[in-house]
Amino acid sequence: MLLYIHIPFCDSKCSYCSFNSYVDKFHLKKTYMKALYTQLEHELARYEVQGKVIESVFIGGGTPSTVSAELYAPIFELITPFFKDNIEVTSEVNPNSGTIEWMRGLFNLGVNRLSFGVQSFNNEKLKKLARAHNSDQAKSAITNAKKVGFKNISLDIIYATAFESKALLEEDLKIAFTLPINHLSAYALTIEANTAFEHTPEVALEKLERTQWFLQAIKDHGFEQYEISNFGTYKSKHNLGYWEYKDYIGAGAGAVGFLKDTRYYPLTDIEQYIKTPLSINEETLSAEEILSEKIFLGFRSLIGVDKKILSAYQIQRAEILLEEEKLTFLEGKYYNPDYLLSDELALFLDT
Amino acid sequence: MKNIRNFSIIAHIDHGKSTLADRIIQECGSVTDREMGTQMMDTMDIEQERGITIKAQSVRLNYVKDGKPYILNLIDTPGHVDFSYEVSKSLASSDGALLIVDAAQGVEAQTIANVYMALDNNLEILPVINKIDLPAAEPERVAEEIETSIGIDATDALLVSAKSGIGIKDLLDAIVDRVPEPSGDPDKTTKAIIYDSWFDAYLGAVALVRVFDGEIKKGQAIQLMSNKEVHNVLELMYPHPLKRHNTPSIQSGEIGIVVLGVKEVGIVNVGDTMTDAKEPCAESIGDYEPAKPFVFAGMYPIDTDKFEDLREALDKLRLNDSSLSYEPETSLALGFGFRVGFLGMLHMEVVKERLEREFNLDLIATAPSVVYNVYLNDGTLVEVQNPSELPEVNHIERIEEPYVKATVITPSEYLGNVMNLLVAKRGIQQKMDYLNEERVLLEYEVPMNEIVVGFYDTLKSISKGYASFDYDPTEFKIGDLVKLDVLVAGDVVDALSTVVPRTSSEQRGRALVKDMKEIIPRQLFEVAVQAAIGSRVIARETIKSMGKNVTAKCYGGDITRKRKLLEKQKAGKKRMKSIGKVNLPQEAFMSVLKMD
Ligand SMILES: Nc1nc2c(ncn2[C@@H]2O[C@H](COP(=O)(O)OP(=O)(O)O)[C@@H](O)[C@H]2O)c(=O)[nH]1
Ligand SMILES: C[S@@+](CC[C@H](N)C(=O)[O-])C[C@H]1O[C@@H](n2cnc3c(N)ncnc32)[C@H](O)[C@@H]1O
Ligand code: SF4
Repeated sequence: MLLYIHIPFCDSKCSYCSFNSYVDKFHLKKTYMKALYTQLEHELARYEVQGKVIESVFIGGGTPSTVSAELYAPIFELITPFFKDNIEVTSEVNPNSGTIEWMRGLFNLGVNRLSFGVQSFNNEKLKKLARAHNSDQAKSAITNAKKVGFKNISLDIIYATAFESKALLEEDLKIAFTLPINHLSAYALTIEANTAFEHTPEVALEKLERTQWFLQAIKDHGFEQYEISNFGTYKSKHNLGYWEYKDYIGAGAGAVGFLKDTRYYPLTDIEQYIKTPLSINEETLSAEEILSEKIFLGFRSLIGVDKKILSAYQIQRAEILLEEEKLTFLEGKYYNPDYLLSDELALFLDT
Repeated sequence: MKNIRNFSIIAHIDHGKSTLADRIIQECGSVTDREMGTQMMDTMDIEQERGITIKAQSVRLNYVKDGKPYILNLIDTPGHVDFSYEVSKSLASSDGALLIVDAAQGVEAQTIANVYMALDNNLEILPVINKIDLPAAEPERVAEEIETSIGIDATDALLVSAKSGIGIKDLLDAIVDRVPEPSGDPDKTTKAIIYDSWFDAYLGAVALVRVFDGEIKKGQAIQLMSNKEVHNVLELMYPHPLKRHNTPSIQSGEIGIVVLGVKEVGIVNVGDTMTDAKEPCAESIGDYEPAKPFVFAGMYPIDTDKFEDLREALDKLRLNDSSLSYEPETSLALGFGFRVGFLGMLHMEVVKERLEREFNLDLIATAPSVVYNVYLNDGTLVEVQNPSELPEVNHIERIEEPYVKATVITPSEYLGNVMNLLVAKRGIQQKMDYLNEERVLLEYEVPMNEIVVGFYDTLKSISKGYASFDYDPTEFKIGDLVKLDVLVAGDVVDALSTVVPRTSSEQRGRALVKDMKEIIPRQLFEVAVQAAIGSRVIARETIKSMGKNVTAKCYGGDITRKRKLLEKQKAGKKRMKSIGKVNLPQEAFMSVLKMD
């Protein structure tokens, strides 16, 4: 079982971002964390959590580093008893608010992995993305994390934008690899509704060869690609858990939970959530939808797709892909050797 | 009978047939201004949208001239060559025809084709020059054109404007004076021609008839002469676009609607003769021949589960369109579908559109083909409606293909272009007449294969839209033809095979694979598209494999969102047809149509 906690506060809104977060609701932090506590209590009971069953926790956002360690303390008190011994506990951090004190505070509560929203080490590009930090802040925050005692550190890079040259990406990677990280997420800029970029879709600019080169360069550093966007000498248990279709609790405004065959959606509006943290929308997935998700998640990552779950027709299609060397087959599972094609492969099985 | 006038209106498209019909109805006071919506006479959606008449409509009108009452029966004819069989039966029901010619445009190809048919039926032709309100109107020049092109006297041509109502009264008077009163003998036994029939949800098959001899009475047992079916007359009505009137009988010389309560298709047929069951007449009126399809195409549901839905939809369409013929067919590439026969290209388009629109089906139509008479070495004749079924070359003694007589009228400045086009289409000139200094009439014999697809559009574009065209099927002639196959990823896609002249086969093959390369999106693998004649590959293009299709963004636990994005893509793919490992978009099947 996994646990996701959503923190819907940000210092400012980045141009590309459609995640559920507010820049003008900081006064609600305390009551929000209380509501979060209420929902968590409820979820632990609903998921029948007993004993040490939680394999990983991920605190995401929004910006988790906008909320002080003290406010997290009660929550950790509530959930820590259910942690497995080798649990992974990750928090996202923004370089501008990820101070040494904050990081130490979370480290002491039991967080053992940090994921930095760096996006780039180029100040011009950071400005275009409307990030609240600069390159130096990012470098020192990550160096500090190591000092505080974190061994598992990751950073996010956004690529495929109109704000970069090959040299810029080369430089970003060079700097990233001088820092004490063992994981890197590389996301291609995606234009989302209700963002500053919504009406300038041309800022998302992808050149296939560039992408192939970039992803290869990360791998060449010895970071294994274990999903289309994720690389490392360490693989995040939380990520793998999603793709392996494990159950997860989703707590907070804009979080998503999953149990057996149903997704749970707490309210996204922060005030509404605070009022009724237990009013949660449900979406029950059909067998067909579950199968479709298992297929695309399996092809996006090293998880692969179990032959046993496929229909006769899908197997027939998969065998064509095998013959064409677009898939490999090992011990009952199909694996995708080129994650860039993963959606097309998933579609191919059904057409 | 003396006071009845049965007349049709014939015209080239857009010369004002519908407008004039509406104006005549209004002038006779049969419809109030308020009821006068957009064009009374075209009732189907598709008819209104395309500005053509597919089903013949009729209306019975009252008119008074010099204090004497008359009944004017206006018989509207289908406005397209595809439906010329129905046109000919409508004309057979009339005694005169108004020949409408646009005062600014002059005589066009369809005008001529229609006139020939009216003359075949011995109709009194009243030339009517319409749109005289237009500044560009040249009635004298047009009258002259009518005389030179058709050879009928146009000195008393009626000058009208259907739009502004000029000359309508004179026109009605002329109809009374010049259209002969109906012939026929009221004392003889019943003899009537069915010139239209359709299916009514409540009444069943309904026939629109013109009675020549005797009368049709309610309750009478009548016989349909082609199939000897006997049925009782349940109801009789006089036709009107808004309000039909019941009547106890339809008399000699009249037109009317006959309800027989027949629920099956294919019994009440256009062109058949209706007579009294107990005392049948000796001979039928003209020859009854079921409408013969000229063009065939495969129609396949994109979603292979929809085969039965397609069958049901075709069955329903046939209720109102007895000329529609179809039989199940299997394609290696497309699965189960139907080979459907059409009266022509327009008919095919209308049927496909109705199937998609009214029955909510997504269809792939294969390239239309004419029928080939293939004579084998052992003397047997095979009629091939589907190019992929052309027998092996070494079994074929000869292939004969259908020809048409193509009539084109063009401004002389485009004469060169038009003649080049006709020659490129293997046309042989039969006639070239200058209607006046500026306009030329051409008649060519052309293989029908060359005009079923794209010809009309090309003609329009090389003549800036001014040339007009009509055609009439003639006979079969020997042709040096070969089957051109298309291979996708090494396999022949049967639905893409076409029959082409040997001389241009290589050039067509090259053009076709080039087109296909543009149309087929990149796939997971490299795909070869080849054109072949027999086992000889004559052209090849390669579609490179795709490099990327994935959204590389962070979704966390919101996997539903990611799934929905993929579902959208899947819906897009569903509109393609997967053939082996390749997904072909619908346009690929139409690309064979665009060959020039
Ligand atoms: N100016 C003018 N336009 C007309 C006249 N009669 C018809 N039209 C227009 O010509 C076009 C074609 O007319 P329509 O009756 O649909 O032609 P059809 O295809 O022969 O039935 C329409 O836009 C009419 O409004 C007329 O007497 N004068
Ligand atoms: C949950 S988000 C935000 C984490 C954190 N608040 C931050 O911005 O540093 C995690 C990552 O998703 C990526 N991301 C967010 N929106 C994106 C978009 N529209 N296109 C591509 N990547 C995006 C960014 O790299 C971001 O760091
Ligand atoms: S990218 Fe991170 S910091 Fe920027 S708006 Fe989104 S959640 Fe907030």
